[in-house]
Amino acid sequence: MTGPRLWPRSLAGRTALVLLLGLAAVQGLGLVAHAMDRGDMQRLVDGRDFAARLVAAYRTVTAAPPEAWAATAQALDPAVGVTASIAPGVPQEGMDPTPPEVQRNIRPYLNWSSLPQPLRPKETFMRSSGDQSMVVSAHLPDDRWLVMRGGFPPSRPWASPSFIWAWLGMTLAAAALTLWAVRRLTAPVRLLGAAAERLGRDVNAPALPEDGPAEVAVAAAAFNTMAARIRRFVADRTFLLTAIGHDLRTPITRLKLRAEWIDDEEQRRKTLADLDELESMVSATLAFGRDVAGTEPAVPMDLAVLLRTVLDEAADARPGSADLLAYAGPEHLAIQARPVALKRALANLVGNALAYGGSARIVLCPPARGDVTVYVEDAGPGIPPGELDRVFEPFHRLEGSRNRETGGTGLGLPITRNILRAHGGDVTLANLSGGGVRATVTLPG
Amino acid sequence: MLPRMDASPHILLIDDDREIRDLLSRFLERHGIRVTGVRDGREARRAWPAGAYHLVILDLMLPGEGGLDLARWLRGISDVPIVMLTAMGEDTDRIAGLELGADDYLPKPFNPRELLARIRAVLRRTTERGPRQAAALRPLRFAGWTLDPARRALLNAQGVEVPLTGGEFDMLLALAERAHQVLTRDMLLDLLRGRQAGPFDRAIDVAISRLRRKLGNGEADPTLIKTVRGGGYVLAAEVERG
Repeated sequence: MTGPRLWPRSLAGRTALVLLLGLAAVQGLGLVAHAMDRGDMQRLVDGRDFAARLVAAYRTVTAAPPEAWAATAQALDPAVGVTASIAPGVPQEGMDPTPPEVQRNIRPYLNWSSLPQPLRPKETFMRSSGDQSMVVSAHLPDDRWLVMRGGFPPSRPWASPSFIWAWLGMTLAAAALTLWAVRRLTAPVRLLGAAAERLGRDVNAPALPEDGPAEVAVAAAAFNTMAARIRRFVADRTFLLTAIGHDLRTPITRLKLRAEWIDDEEQRRKTLADLDELESMVSATLAFGRDVAGTEPAVPMDLAVLLRTVLDEAADARPGSADLLAYAGPEHLAIQARPVALKRALANLVGNALAYGGSARIVLCPPARGDVTVYVEDAGPGIPPGELDRVFEPFHRLEGSRNRETGGTGLGLPITRNILRAHGGDVTLANLSGGGVRATVTLPG
Repeated sequence: MLPRMDASPHILLIDDDREIRDLLSRFLERHGIRVTGVRDGREARRAWPAGAYHLVILDLMLPGEGGLDLARWLRGISDVPIVMLTAMGEDTDRIAGLELGADDYLPKPFNPRELLARIRAVLRRTTERGPRQAAALRPLRFAGWTLDPARRALLNAQGVEVPLTGGEFDMLLALAERAHQVLTRDMLLDLLRGRQAGPFDRAIDVAISRLRRKLGNGEADPTLIKTVRGGGYVLAAEVERG
C-alpha cells in the first residue's frame, strides 16, 4: 500500500483500480504484439521491394553493352532508389555480413528469371552497415562486380499515431464499463453499511430488501434477523423499564401523602425532596422508554421561544437562579420538531449545566448550511476529555456526581441524545478553553 | 349549589388505591375539605346522588370502567368541576380528559400541596365563572394567535407552535377567556400557585413580561397584554372562539 492517494479506501475503488490496471496492461501487451507483427510484415514488404529494385537496377545496367556498364551504373535513375557502380571485386571494408533474418526477406525475391540466362549474376553477396544501408554485390558474367547500394527505412512500429489513441480509447471504454459494473456490484455493500448506520440511530428503521445476487440476499436477510433481535431486546428492556416506572407511581404517591404527617418541618421537607428526586428518576426512566418509541408528531415550532421557556422553567424550579441563566440569539426561529420531546432534551442540558457547572448560557445560531446550532454552556470545572462521549451512555456517571447535591439518574444525556438523533440532529460535549463545558446541539433547520 | 368559599366544600375522590384514598381524604380534611372516597365507577355512580359534590378528583387509571368513560358520564349529568390524575407524560389521556371537559389535571405522583392548590383554584374559578361554558375547550383566536386549550398549545399566525411554561399558558388562557376584562393579580396568582417554588411577590410581573416577550418581537411589547393601574392585566384584543 502506498498511501491513501494511490490505494483507494473504498471496495469499489480498489476493485476498479485492480481491474483497470490489469486491463490497461493486457491492452498494452496486445497492442505491442500487434505492432511487432506489423513491423515484421513491413520488413517483409520492404525486403521484397528492395529485391525488386535491385533486380531492376541490375537489368538496366546489363541491358547496355558491357563497355557501357560503368557509365550506365553511374547514370542510374534515382527513382529506382539504388545507386550502383562497377568494381573489380567485392568491397569488404566497414561492412558486416547481413544477418540471415534480413537476407531471408530479400534473397527469395531476387528474381533473375526475366534476364537471359548468360546475363544472370553468378552469385550475390550482401553486406550491411546498421539497418538502413546495405550493399549488394552481384557477380557479373565478365567477373566484374556490380555494387548496388541502397536500403529501406527502419521499421517503426511505435511511430503510429493511432497507437496511443487506440490504447487510450480502449482503456477508457474499459474503465467506464468497469466503474459501472463495480459500482453496481458493491452497491449492496454500501446499502448494508447505510442500514447498519440507520439501525444505530433508530432501531425501528425499515428492513433491507432481501433481493439481488444470492450472496447479497443472504447478507441482507442475516442483517434483518439481527435487527429484529436487537429490536426485540430493546423493546423488552423498554417494557421492563416502563412497567417498573408505572408500578412505582402508587407507592411514591402514598409516601408523598404520608410525608404530610411528619411533624418535624425539616424532615418533612427533606423527605419530600427525596421523593421528588425518586419521581424524577422514574419519569426519566419512563421518558427513556417512550422516546425510543418516538410517537409524538413533528410540528412547526418556535425554537427560540422554546429555549427561553426552558430557561424560564429552570429559573422557576430553582429560586434565585435567574441570574445564572442567559440567552443570546434571535427572538423567534421556526423549525420542524416534536415540542415535548425537544423541550425535555434541552431542559436536560440546561439542568446539567446548572447542576454541574453552576450556570447555563444558551446561544442560538440561525441556520447555516441547513442546520441550526444551539450551544448550552456552563462555567464549571469541565469534564475529563476521556469522558466527553462516555457520559452519553445510559447510567454512566462522572466520578463524584453520585451525590445529594447533583442527584441525577444517569439517563439525562442518553435521553437527550436519543431525542436529538431522532430529530436528525445530534449533541456533543466539549470543554471550553476558559473553563466550563459546551454542549453543541445541531438540528435540521 | 355552588359553594361560597367560606363554606366547607365537598369532594368526590375516585381512586382504586385504598391507601391513597385514605391518606388523601385525611390530608384534604385537615385543610377544611370534606371528602367521600370511592374505588371505581360502580361505587361512584352509587355515591353520586347522595353527595351534592363541588368537585370530583378522578384517577384516569381505574380498573374496569376507565376514568375517561366515567368523566364522560359525569359530564353528561353535571357541570361539576373535574380534576384528573393522569399517568406521567401520557399526553393522549390528558388531552382526551380535557376535551371531555376536565378542569385541570395533575400527573401521578403528585405533590399533595399542589393538588390542594389546584383544587382551591378550580373551586374559585368555577365560583367566579358560574355555570360552565360548553365551548371552554374550543381554540381561541386573537390578534393572529391561536390558543388551543385541549392541546395546551399556542400557535402564531403562520401555524408555528410557540412553547410556553404551564403557568404562562394558564395566564394567557385566563386573559383570553376574559378579553377586555381586568384580571387582578390575585386571580392570576391562583394559576401560578403550586407550579412555582419561589416567592410569589414578583411572580406575576415576571411571568407577564416573559409572555409579552414571547408574543412580541424582541423587547416586551405591552400593547396586547396591557397593565391596568391598581394592579391588574387585560388582554386588549378581540377573541373569537371556534
